[in-house]
Amino acid sequence: MANLGAPGKTASDITDELPTFNVENMQNNAKIIYYSRTFMSIIGGVIAGILGFTGLTGFILYFLVMAITSVGLAAKAGFSVHSYFDGWNRIILDGFLGGLLSFVLFWTYPNDFS
Amino acid sequence: MAEDLVLDTAIRDWVLIPLSVVMVLIGILRYFVSKLMRSSNQVPDPKMVKEGQVIIRARNLRAAANYIPAKSFRARRVYFSNEENGLLYVPKGQAQNAQAQMFSDPNMAMDMMKKNLSMIIPQTLTFAWVNFFFSGFVAAKIPFPLTQRFRSMLQNGIDLSTVDVSYVSSRSWYFLNLFGLRGLFSLILGEENATDDTQRMMQMSGFGFDPTKSLGAEKDSLDIFQHEWALPKFEQRAEAVLKKLVS
Repeated sequence: MANLGAPGKTASDITDELPTFNVENMQNNAKIIYYSRTFMSIIGGVIAGILGFTGLTGFILYFLVMAITSVGLAAKAGFSVHSYFDGWNRIILDGFLGGLLSFVLFWTYPNDFS
Repeated sequence: MAEDLVLDTAIRDWVLIPLSVVMVLIGILRYFVSKLMRSSNQVPDPKMVKEGQVIIRARNLRAAANYIPAKSFRARRVYFSNEENGLLYVPKGQAQNAQAQMFSDPNMAMDMMKKNLSMIIPQTLTFAWVNFFFSGFVAAKIPFPLTQRFRSMLQNGIDLSTVDVSYVSSRSWYFLNLFGLRGLFSLILGEENATDDTQRMMQMSGFGFDPTKSLGAEKDSLDIFQHEWALPKFEQRAEAVLKKLVS
């Protein structure tokens, strides 16, 4: 995945009162978040399948993987979230449940391939 | 009652893997076919493009309104939402007309139909294929338990009522693949892929009604907007920033 690159800067002023946002960069960052989450949910699904989790444990692993993704994204943004994103909600909550279906699919794969 | 059924490896080789592989390949095929079909008629309607650009201009005005003085903002706003010849003002009669025209326009209708078909037909065909060949046996085991009410949905071809709900038929394997592979497609095919059907449905219907409704919406939000000139404070801000730099 060569696209886990640095999010571009969004705020065009170095200000805390008047945030202005460059739309293209914001969209690019949102796309990067989406790709990262999808990728991590696929990997997390395969891990859950291989480790043989069933039921609730697997879903807990999904949330754990999503949390790790959020932390990783925040670390990539250098923890100065406001210069790259709208706010903390964007990094933490966006697309949280979007990867659930992919997770379940790839969780089922190792279970059935003995 | 959770018996531990052991699934035959033959099922795995001849059902699960081929089904997944076929779905991935059909998705890729659909992507390329839609790309090929789209490049043939690429004449954008000038009127729609003009309206789209007007909307973008109005949105930019709203976004950056605090950087221009109040009088010039008001002048621009009047230019947009003026009753006689403002750009965003669309009289009622004309609004309806545009909608009807959008549907009877042969090009647009053909386009929409082609895109809808190219999405629905492979899904229908694959579903029929799955039903015909792969019904009547337990296909896969999903790793989490569901309640008994899902039994009729997930275990469609299996007529034993004592089998655990985790053992599903191939129909549910098809649906699981259908939804789960969307994420995979968005990774391997890039952003623009034809497999995310719900998104494209929204986009398609958005295009038809876009000019009339969103013009009105833009006009309303422009009227509501409160102008707050940010520039008077800029001298203090510049002083603060410079002080920080120097000290």
